[in-house]
Amino acid sequence: MDLVRRTIERYVPLTDAEWSRIAPNWQEFAFTRGARICGIGQVEQRFYIVKSGVQRLSFPHDGNDLCIGFAYDGSWCGEFASFLSRKPARFEVTAVTDSALLGIQYDDLQQLYREMPIMERWGRLLVEELILGRAVREVEQLSLSAEERYDRLMARSPHLLQLVPQKDIASYLRMTPETFSRLRKRK
Amino acid sequence: MNAQDLIDELQETVLGQIARANKVAAMSPERLMKRPAPQQWNVLEVFEHMNLSSGIYVRGLRKVFDAKAAALKPNSIYRPGLLGDYFTTGMLPKDDGSIRNRMRTMRMFDPQRNQGASLQSISAFIGMCEEQLQLLERARSTDLNGMRVTSSLGPIIRFKAGDAFRFPIAHQARHMLQVERLLA
Repeated sequence: MDLVRRTIERYVPLTDAEWSRIAPNWQEFAFTRGARICGIGQVEQRFYIVKSGVQRLSFPHDGNDLCIGFAYDGSWCGEFASFLSRKPARFEVTAVTDSALLGIQYDDLQQLYREMPIMERWGRLLVEELILGRAVREVEQLSLSAEERYDRLMARSPHLLQLVPQKDIASYLRMTPETFSRLRKRK
Repeated sequence: MNAQDLIDELQETVLGQIARANKVAAMSPERLMKRPAPQQWNVLEVFEHMNLSSGIYVRGLRKVFDAKAAALKPNSIYRPGLLGDYFTTGMLPKDDGSIRNRMRTMRMFDPQRNQGASLQSISAFIGMCEEQLQLLERARSTDLNGMRVTSSLGPIIRFKAGDAFRFPIAHQARHMLQVERLLA
């Protein structure tokens, strides 16, 4: 649970009294590798913080699994769009490795937002960060060559290579596994 | 064998499994996901494996009970089928808690090659055990010799209803021992 507090405190400071109000809303979850955390068509019930493990966000397209993102230790996990909109998920979230997650239910989070300005501020800062991250990725996707996309990712998240199958990273970078492997060998 | 005694014994076993599963469910995710070796199952996968395999019998029993149980005359004697008895005996752990023979898991019952496992696998197991208890209660007033259920070994082998309780519950007993070994 300390992880939740530390993670929230990266954005906003919390008093012990505030934390004792927040803590009971978070619950531990475990998913073994290959387990589906949220399936396409389900409404995502929770917003997770990753305690350990790697998760993948993907959807099937043209017979392939298109990978659109990863989550790992200390980052956020879940089908966020579905969580916010309360509409069926368009992506599935799967555990790539055994994953321990800390999750909060939608209603509980909304209740905290209503009762605690500090939590609402946290929520705002979090969404801002997510939007900025998305904007960067969008530009990279649209303007960079395969080689540049590869280099950017390796500069930003070099550890990813040890954590997830190369075909998932290749899919995330919108290139074939062959191109990916060629770019790797180039170094 | 006496049908009521068999039902008593099976219900007692399942109640013990539920009680243990409730305790295990409260343990930390790290402990439940710990693997003795990288490719071996963790506790959650063992529970999911039991759900995948015992689920076949629970669904089969529910169906045949709904269709036939009420029409059968209660029978106080249960005579195990030849195959059902053979497989149940092979599955049951010995009295000292050791296991007779290691088995290979069929692909369809291996969580690692299906949908994985989660904490939810334990609560689903408990739900399934509760349905086994209910079906066993219904079994008291019917004839366990008079109904057959497709086994998990394939559609060619059909177990008598009594064995469709005995075999999966023996299989569960075996895997509850594996859970204890993993948690030790």
